[in-house]
Amino acid sequence: MFKVLDSAVPIACWSCSIGHNDSTLFCPHCSKIQPPPGGDYFSVFGLEPRLGLDLPALEHEFHRLSRKVHPDRFARAGENERQWSLADTALLNDAYRTLKDPLHRTEYLLKLEGAEIGPDLSAESAAADGKDRKDPSRVPADLLEEVFELNMQLEEMRMARKMGETDAGLQPSLEQAKRRFDGLLVEVDQNLRIQWQVWDEGDAAARKKAEKTMVGLLDRRRYLSNLVRDVTETLGA
Amino acid sequence: MAYSDKVIDHYNNPRNVGQLDKSSTEVGTGLVGAPECGDVMRLQIRVNPETQVIEEAKFKTFGCGSAIASSSLATEWIKGRTVDDAMAIKNTDIVKELSLPPVKIHCSVLAEDAIRAAIGDWKKKNGAAETAQATTVAVAH
Ligand code: FES
Ligand SMILES: [Zn+2]
Repeated sequence: MFKVLDSAVPIACWSCSIGHNDSTLFCPHCSKIQPPPGGDYFSVFGLEPRLGLDLPALEHEFHRLSRKVHPDRFARAGENERQWSLADTALLNDAYRTLKDPLHRTEYLLKLEGAEIGPDLSAESAAADGKDRKDPSRVPADLLEEVFELNMQLEEMRMARKMGETDAGLQPSLEQAKRRFDGLLVEVDQNLRIQWQVWDEGDAAARKKAEKTMVGLLDRRRYLSNLVRDVTETLGA
Repeated sequence: MAYSDKVIDHYNNPRNVGQLDKSSTEVGTGLVGAPECGDVMRLQIRVNPETQVIEEAKFKTFGCGSAIASSSLATEWIKGRTVDDAMAIKNTDIVKELSLPPVKIHCSVLAEDAIRAAIGDWKKKNGAAETAQATTVAVAH
């Protein structure tokens, strides 16, 4: 009657007591609204975890479900159902916002798969005793060298500008730097897309490998977008 | 985010910003990054080969105020210490000194990693010399 997802835990419906996956907002048997499900964001939309998503279909499903759980519809329902419609609406919004954005979706899926990735700077994850620290060797040395070097160059240009230097070459070299960083970002995104496909179509081993590659690409992306931000700031100043 | 006075002080007057000659055998260079936020930090030490004391320390950090303060403080602390002593510095010491909030703990971790990386690089460069010394001692016995 309904598709069993690996990630979903069966629970009993509060209303009809029939068991169903803990991933659905409504009971598949009696159609009553359910408390926020404990499954992952994909399962809220009835999807298997995937990186290549049909975004128009996702949006359509989001709007359909949003209308169904809308608190207005439960204004005269019992206290529990009213609360659940609010909580389900919040969950649905979070799930949609996370899945529709390609980077958030990738990070989310990698976390689901147990990968250690940023930017998880939350207090709970940062153990004060440092025991829980991330592996410092995760960032490849050559990327660090490159990023450091780019930062140095950028700083030099900014300093020169701050000193009121009217070096005619400065503006063009900043613009050139920006184009270069932008280009590197595009490259990272293209590589990410390739890995999406590898993950979506691969077996367990291929997936693990793709996950590692994607963690590296996301790290690189974070460094590059900092550079783009800084150079854009300098250009705008 | 409200920074503590000590962070602001180090941020406004960073100690020991600069660089040392990377190619010198007396110099160890540590380059580390925090992938969570995309910050990078370079910390360098110049070690006296006789005494193993860190005589000079320099840093350059592209990152947040806490990362700059952590690395600035780290260079102050390791100067004058032996290499082994410097290894004992923990990120938690930095957190305490600078009153870093939980979200900024990884910035202090970055500084600790940078110290270790710099010492590691120096040891690698001088590894041959150390082994030679050890061999001499072994032979003498
Ligand atoms: S925010 Fe990442 S080093 Fe401080
Ligand atoms: Zn039911």
